[in-house]
Amino acid sequence: MGFEIKRFQGDVDEELICPICSGVLEDPLQAPACEHAFCRACITEWISRQPTCPVDRQTVTASQLRPVPRILRNLLSRLCTSCDNAPHGCNAILKLDSLPNHLVECEFNPKRPIPCEAGCGLVIPKDELAQHNCVRELRALIATQQGKLNDYQQELAEQRLVINEHKRELALLKEFMRAMRVSNPTMRALADQMEREEVVRWANSLARARVTRWGGMISTPDDVLQVMMIKRSLSESGCPPHIIDDLMENCHERRWPPGLSSLETRQNNRRLYEKYVCKRVPGKQAVLVLHCDNTHVDEHMMVEPGLVMIFAHGIE
Amino acid sequence: MANIAAKRIKREFKEIMKSEEVIGGSIKLGLVNENWTELKGEIAGPVDTPYEGGTFLLEIKVPETYPFNPPKIRFLTKIWHPNVSSVTGAICLDILKDQWAAALTLRTVLLSLQALLSAGEPNDPQDAVVAKQFRENPRLFTMTARHWTNVYAGGPNIVHECNSKVQRMLDMGIDEHQARVALSSYDWDLERATEQLFG
Repeated sequence: MGFEIKRFQGDVDEELICPICSGVLEDPLQAPACEHAFCRACITEWISRQPTCPVDRQTVTASQLRPVPRILRNLLSRLCTSCDNAPHGCNAILKLDSLPNHLVECEFNPKRPIPCEAGCGLVIPKDELAQHNCVRELRALIATQQGKLNDYQQELAEQRLVINEHKRELALLKEFMRAMRVSNPTMRALADQMEREEVVRWANSLARARVTRWGGMISTPDDVLQVMMIKRSLSESGCPPHIIDDLMENCHERRWPPGLSSLETRQNNRRLYEKYVCKRVPGKQAVLVLHCDNTHVDEHMMVEPGLVMIFAHGIE
Repeated sequence: MANIAAKRIKREFKEIMKSEEVIGGSIKLGLVNENWTELKGEIAGPVDTPYEGGTFLLEIKVPETYPFNPPKIRFLTKIWHPNVSSVTGAICLDILKDQWAAALTLRTVLLSLQALLSAGEPNDPQDAVVAKQFRENPRLFTMTARHWTNVYAGGPNIVHECNSKVQRMLDMGIDEHQARVALSSYDWDLERATEQLFG
């Protein structure tokens, strides 16, 4: 819809008037054959009702509409108009083509967003500033957020319930599998496969660790103090229950593979340590060297399902 | 949209007041209400037609969707014309219907209506009775149209033949307009007109 003609300085040529809205052409388009020009919004609205030129009724479709010639655009852009915000006190007189930029910056725009300086930090339209009340606005904000928080809490509780339900079902299923495995060889293979995959999934969920001081290794850890703490950490990290006891056994050099089982062999094989892919035991100065991560390591340096190495220090 | 309608009508109103037709007195336009949705038009009957010397009032309703839809116009002054209902004043004119174009204005519409008075189109009638007379008995049609113009539109040409026949029916206690319609519809045959009213 075109610009109100009264906003313009002096007379506006009849050629620059939209025959539909009778305002000054805004974003004009023209019909292809007769070259009658209209505001884009006006002609689009008209063509949606009737595919003709509103002046001479020649057939025109929306896709045939063309931009108007440059000379017409230039004539339009040279027209001088007052600002949209003139009723709000803006006295600027602008060329039509600089109007859009001016409107973005115009200080008299009643809807210009302004940050509240009273301290609430909200950004509000200028014309609402007079009625603005920080406390009221912030209270409303708190109320909506509280509402959201309650929703989330409820959702969380529901999800927890669902998860517990799933856990229970999973435990039952595992029990079932274990029972089936004894009697059925296919089931056994399947269960073994699932267990292996479970270990791999768990291994992938752990962070890589780097041992900076292999000399800090504790090869004969204290069962109660150290081993129990490691076990708890592993269990919390999601270690599959069927390997956790084996892993804990493998904390001690008496269960380590030949290449690690004594101080002497350890010193001989020291350069092989760098080949290990180590995973962090969360929160502990200890690493997991899992068989599934270390298929590239020689057999005399690895055991199933993996090793746990406890250190005095030097884990990153 | 309503905004466009009001804006356009205001501008058209201003333009039409400066037009030579208004200055010359052949058309007039007036406001009925404050919000520019209803106007009153007036056209002078064209010279060399039975409507000459008459003044015809028009009701103009501007829809909210104007100018994407045509204004709704009807004759308030009773008129005997094949394209205007002698009962309701409804007009059959293509530009007020499917041939409306958004660039048409109240001025062009009023001028088109004036042209319609100069050249009736009996093959696209609004009033079948009038159209039939227009085609089959042009002399009677002209007389009737002139009589109606004299009686309803303030035309100067008195048609004595019509007046005396209407008076005869008035004497029988028949309502004047009813009598005139009946006589006009039956080609001023007093007997058939009376028969129709009492039958």
